[in-house]
Amino acid sequence: MFDIITNYFTLDWQIPILLSVICVSLASGVLSPIVVSSRMAFFSDAVAHSTLAGVALGLLLAVDHPATLMIGFGVIVALLIATLRQFTTLSFDTLLGVAMAGSLAAGVLLYHHVKGYAGLHGYLFGQVSLLAWTDFYVMLFNASLAVLMVLLFGNRFLMLAVSRPLAQARGLSVARYEFLLIILLGLVVSLSVRAVGLLLVNALLIVPAAASRNVARSVRGMFWGSVIVALVSGLIGLFGADYLSLPPGPAIVVVAVVLFLGSQALRPVFGHQVAEA
Amino acid sequence: MANEPLIKCEHVTVSASGKKLVEDVSFELGAGKFVALIGPNGAGKTTLLRAILGLVPYDGKITINARIGYVPQRLQYDRTLPMTVLEFMALTLQKRPVAFGVPARVKRRVLELLDTVGASKLARANLGGLSGGELQRVMLASALQDSPQLLLLDEPAAGVDIEGEATFNELILKQVRERGATVVLVSHDLSVVSDITDRVICLNRVLKCEGDAHDLLTAETIAEVFGGGKAVYGHHHHHHHH
Repeated sequence: MFDIITNYFTLDWQIPILLSVICVSLASGVLSPIVVSSRMAFFSDAVAHSTLAGVALGLLLAVDHPATLMIGFGVIVALLIATLRQFTTLSFDTLLGVAMAGSLAAGVLLYHHVKGYAGLHGYLFGQVSLLAWTDFYVMLFNASLAVLMVLLFGNRFLMLAVSRPLAQARGLSVARYEFLLIILLGLVVSLSVRAVGLLLVNALLIVPAAASRNVARSVRGMFWGSVIVALVSGLIGLFGADYLSLPPGPAIVVVAVVLFLGSQALRPVFGHQVAEA
Repeated sequence: MANEPLIKCEHVTVSASGKKLVEDVSFELGAGKFVALIGPNGAGKTTLLRAILGLVPYDGKITINARIGYVPQRLQYDRTLPMTVLEFMALTLQKRPVAFGVPARVKRRVLELLDTVGASKLARANLGGLSGGELQRVMLASALQDSPQLLLLDEPAAGVDIEGEATFNELILKQVRERGATVVLVSHDLSVVSDITDRVICLNRVLKCEGDAHDLLTAETIAEVFGGGKAVYGHHHHHHHH
């Protein structure tokens, strides 16, 4: 059993991968309760998809750091969504649908000119096994940003999640905090896409809190439960994938989903009672 | 200065998409009053409250010399969110994220507030599992956290059974008597407010009447505010029919 873990440490190049995965898991674990409670699941998906256009453009222009363009694109789309939200009467999910379709189409069009869809696979499914020390520093920044977000604004984001009108009446500048949440989350998502891939970023932001909500009776339980699910998924997924020679990204999400299914089974025992509205 | 009104509305008009929801409303309220803001559904009562809270843009002038506590109309929220009543109250009482725990100081304050509304045993309960009456008590306790001099309650009894409503009104009355707070209670149900309030503001887009509850809560004013449909029992109106 333990040789699965000890084997992992026999290769030096795997250390930055391990540390990066811990950082990505930590970032998603602390933010997941906010994302799920604020119903922002679809938003992180939209931002994640929009980074595709950035990557394609980076590859087309053969810039040295396509990741910079990718993150830039993700943040720009997040800004655009946040701004449009203030002016449109459309519902948020409709707006996100438009943003996602538009940016994804633009990305695919740009990719059309990239020979043989180079790098698309890694972009979609993550390139966890290629992560180096520079990636770890980015992920460390990412995790610090996520933790800082929770420390500084966690209570306000939660108040917003409980009730927008009530938060407003309590003197909270609702528009400002919604904007802030969108921008910060957009940044974290764009940064994470590189490590775990577009299709898996969203899973890591949603599944941990989805699982912990099933069995938690308090914010505290939901939060720490989400952090534990994210970290455990990250580590088991990584070590397990290494042992079985599987790609680590999808393995991490599969572990998270299995934990979610377990929490669903335990819900009748540990979950809180929900009264009829 | 002592007689300065807590709240003064001067020619307040609130419009939305070209339609006037509240038009040219003026009134002022002093301390220690229990005021009912009545009017039929869609009369602009909630809109006027929202203007007072500064949540909607308006024309005219609203001057407030009081800390405001607000209990919203039947709160819609995600009942599947795991959050204890203690955590909910602590959200606005502490800087530290509630996920990292509630310090003893905040815990004491929350229990004190809940005790005021007779709900201290709800501290550990889950927000999603509260009954209508329990939720309104928690909302009232939460609204009292800054020791407001002005309490705005938007149909607080909606979704509460009759027994619970009477208890809830007693709790509000206590705020007026013991703390000298002024309470504005929005209602479309006259029977609820007639016994306990001392002032009435009748609104049906425009201000229909304002003054002492016992003088105003007569058949005529009710008919005036709520429209002709209820005027049938004004027997001295019979000479109009010819």
